[in-house]
Amino acid sequence: MMSARSGAWGVAVMLLLTGCGPKPIDPRRQVGPEPYLPPIHQYLLPPMHVAKIVGWNGATPTAAAGLKVQAFATGLAGPRSVYVLPNGDVLVVESGGPPPPSPSRPKDIVMNWVEKMSHSHAKPGQRILLFRDTNGDGLPDDKTVFIDHLKSPFGVVLVGSDLYVANTDAVVRYPYTTGETRITAAGTKLCDLPGGPIDHHWTKSLTASPDGTKLYAGVGSNSNITENGLQAELGRASVWEIDRATGSHREYATGLRNPNGLQFEPQTQRLWVVVNERDELGPDLVPDYLTSVKDGGFYGWPYSYYGQHTDPRVKPERPDLVSQAIVPDYALSSHVAPLGLVFYTGTNLPAHYRGGAFVGEHGSWNRTTLNGYKVVYVPFQNGHPVGAAEDVVTGFLVDGDKARGRPVGLAMDSQGGLLIADDAGNSVWRVSAASP
Amino acid sequence: MLSPNPRSTASIAGHPLHVMLVPIPVVCFIATLITDIVYSQTAKMLWSDMSAWLLVVGVLVSFLAAAAGLVDFFGDRRIRELRAAWIHALGNVTVVMLSIFNMLIHTRDAYTSVVPTGLILSAIVVLLLLVTGWNGWSMVYRHRVGVLPSREEVP
Repeated sequence: MMSARSGAWGVAVMLLLTGCGPKPIDPRRQVGPEPYLPPIHQYLLPPMHVAKIVGWNGATPTAAAGLKVQAFATGLAGPRSVYVLPNGDVLVVESGGPPPPSPSRPKDIVMNWVEKMSHSHAKPGQRILLFRDTNGDGLPDDKTVFIDHLKSPFGVVLVGSDLYVANTDAVVRYPYTTGETRITAAGTKLCDLPGGPIDHHWTKSLTASPDGTKLYAGVGSNSNITENGLQAELGRASVWEIDRATGSHREYATGLRNPNGLQFEPQTQRLWVVVNERDELGPDLVPDYLTSVKDGGFYGWPYSYYGQHTDPRVKPERPDLVSQAIVPDYALSSHVAPLGLVFYTGTNLPAHYRGGAFVGEHGSWNRTTLNGYKVVYVPFQNGHPVGAAEDVVTGFLVDGDKARGRPVGLAMDSQGGLLIADDAGNSVWRVSAASP
Repeated sequence: MLSPNPRSTASIAGHPLHVMLVPIPVVCFIATLITDIVYSQTAKMLWSDMSAWLLVVGVLVSFLAAAAGLVDFFGDRRIRELRAAWIHALGNVTVVMLSIFNMLIHTRDAYTSVVPTGLILSAIVVLLLLVTGWNGWSMVYRHRVGVLPSREEVP
């Protein structure tokens, strides 16, 4: 009697754990301006499915028709973003997150372990490398360490002769003269950014306003959905506007859970960003997105998603804020983890790719069927996204659930090639027209 | 020589292991209810984090307590003949199952890690513990399970 009873309980528990997750939908239903949003599903055991990193071993990613992919740099240590200087030199930021804080609950121990699984085993660098192409073939011939000993750097932007680096805890300014291959001068801090001790979303993207007077920094939230307390979110989940002259800042837009890839759209000169939305509401919630950012705009996090869809996990509620939440412009589908964005203004790639945006999707962990792990192209017309996103660079996944690499930051080089930082594959890839 | 009292099989030098271990999960699960209630009233994550730790420790030690209890239960037929022993055993197996379930609910992020499912489970577990505890005390103080015979009782 006893064992029959406990056996029945065991079966019931197993069914509850594994049998009640909703079936994932076709991600294409969540790409575009009006994504389908399924009902919320809260898990007992959230899916933690990260692709095992196996490396490239000589292979290269696959490009769409009319394009080719070449290795720009390999054997790097966690390259996360790329930035092209006016003279054509390419900066590659090698970076890794700060060490995790001491666990505040048992789940943190498991999550830190999952996080380790999803990244390359090589210890990431904390520096910026400079690559120079001396023979005009688009691939680098010289490599130097440009700036060393940084603190989880991510964003880089040059304004005049001021080079700004966004470390995880501060924007630092360095003097730069054209052609320089190494900066040894100590940086000058322009502005503190929210850093540790928690520093959950640590990557700080950086760009400058077209007139060069302001900097914009993406500051990600300090939790998935306020589980580290609301007090830990001060100044976070927002885009900061930093005055270049004084270093003073204000929150330009808020409610953006983890904004990255800050870029000004070349035609309309409006700020755009890709945002990683919240986890653990089901395989198809919440879609990550690409959006223009309005001055003073509130985009929902943590209180609501995709406009006015309230998140039941956040207390106290703020209906006053939810009612103002802006619906993002363009959904990229759920858990794809967009981290890179670049508007294509070059002429090397086929005409089809001009004027739109490339997005680097780092790839999912919070759904059983992997999503992302590729670079997509979103066509734009008159400064607005139109039509479906297209896969441009794939092949990051192999054998269904292993990853050779994971795309992160993007940039366009001086010849119009598309550069892709691949942190898990420890490479930078260059995409160009298949036949010139 | 057979003791007149039901014997504890899982014991060290006549000291039953089950009663040494069982206070830990009992206290953890009662404390979980308290911290869950405080969290539901304050929405301060400190309290739900505390519940999560208490549940994990409670569940882990309850496996050991259950193992010792089951060894006693199957180790002496006279224990299995007690109605109180059946209520205690089945009730506590249910407590452990519900607490595993509750532990998983508490891995959710923020408010719904507690309200409402976690809080309801924590309350049901404490109510069950009152019943299983009462029957556990009956086993020892009335039916002398695991109690050594006094001098007069030794034949």
